[in-house]
Amino acid sequence: MTQDALGHLEMQVMEVLWARGESNVSDVVPRLGRPLAYTTVMTTLDRLFKKNLLVRRKWERAFFYAPRWTRQEWERKRAGDFMAAFLASPQVSGDLLISSLVDAVGQHDTALLDEFEKKIRSKRRELGRRGE
Amino acid sequence: MPFLARFLFVSLATYSLLHLALGLMVSAIARPAVHLGERIRPRLAAGCLLALRLLPAAGAALIVAVVCVPSYLSNEPEAPTESVGYGCMLVALLGLGMWAVSIARGLRAAVSSRSFTQRCGQAGRLARLPGAPAPSYIVDSTAPLLALAGIVRPRLAISRGVLRVLTAEELAAALRHERAHRSAHDNLKRLFILLAPGILPLAASTRTLESGWRKFAEWAADDRAVGGSERRSCALAAALVRVARIAADSPQPSLASSLLGDTDQLAERVDRLLRAAPPGPRIAGRTTLALGAALLMASSLVVAILQPAALYAVHRVLERLEHFVE
Repeated sequence: MTQDALGHLEMQVMEVLWARGESNVSDVVPRLGRPLAYTTVMTTLDRLFKKNLLVRRKWERAFFYAPRWTRQEWERKRAGDFMAAFLASPQVSGDLLISSLVDAVGQHDTALLDEFEKKIRSKRRELGRRGE
Repeated sequence: MPFLARFLFVSLATYSLLHLALGLMVSAIARPAVHLGERIRPRLAAGCLLALRLLPAAGAALIVAVVCVPSYLSNEPEAPTESVGYGCMLVALLGLGMWAVSIARGLRAAVSSRSFTQRCGQAGRLARLPGAPAPSYIVDSTAPLLALAGIVRPRLAISRGVLRVLTAEELAAALRHERAHRSAHDNLKRLFILLAPGILPLAASTRTLESGWRKFAEWAADDRAVGGSERRSCALAAALVRVARIAADSPQPSLASSLLGDTDQLAERVDRLLRAAPPGPRIAGRTTLALGAALLMASSLVVAILQPAALYAVHRVLERLEHFVE
């Protein structure tokens, strides 16, 4: 899945394909709501295919394109990618004006986390005994 | 050289030298101040470290504005034949460069943060969580995200992954923690820190003070969130560990490198929360009194300095700086 944001035309083409299903260039062109050259749409479809957003098959010298994911799946992946990119950024704890609970929470040794959980359970038991 | 140009060069050069002097002073006390911070209330500690971090930039600007500018304007002749020494120009350009770098850093951070908030809006939907002061962005992601984003009207962004793993009590504690950051205006303070030029010549002191401030700001938010209750304290510790667990179990290798290295801080925070419930916030009566006294002393000092004789003495020093390496 690409992390690049989609351009306006790319998004329009994706909308057509989500609405219509598998289509070739001639099917997409009249549904874009504005006069666009056949080659422009062909290039856009090819770019979306290279971005791994579409699958395609060849039938009688023409390519037929279909979305790789449903719109819902794509939205979910996009959100996931965005968060992954955000968390991978070296700016996370420094140059972003964000107060985050994960500021002090990194990739920790799971044994250490197990140890913390044990302590929390024990504290909860103690609080329970004291009736808090 | 025209009067205005000389005035700007001298003001900037004075600013740079004062910044350097105050920076050296702050560098000497940065580390002890962070250690001392552990013995006082986190909120006060965070406030003191923030003040120290901003002191060279703000102090130098204040002295220039209150002392040097009136002195120069009242004593400097407007003769266009006077010139400014190369040394003075160089020091002035250093000051200008420091500010340019910091302003660029602050603007970049503000733009990235705005873009982050906008993308949260695109990738998530607004919903009102119980206990949250304003509608929050619920982002459809498994990432360990629970953050307050924005400066003027900060909004909470929370991932479904975090919502899934936290119990109602833990979520409430985590939301109270973020609310504490909101009422302390911590994002705005982050912006001030980025906008203030680093402490020269010892950049390590800048990092010491900034990381110290971040730590005590977190502790202060923890204290405010638990409000002296051991039960809430335990719930917040559990929330921290659960969110850390998401990060630990995350399959993204990039996540490992980006958030690595704060194990000690997490351990310290969880231990602190479990040891005993941190006390609730106290009305800072003594702090207000101390601030009032400091303000009174500063005003008296300004009145004394603004006497003609004192302004003339300051101007003689400025004249030397103006003709430095002519």
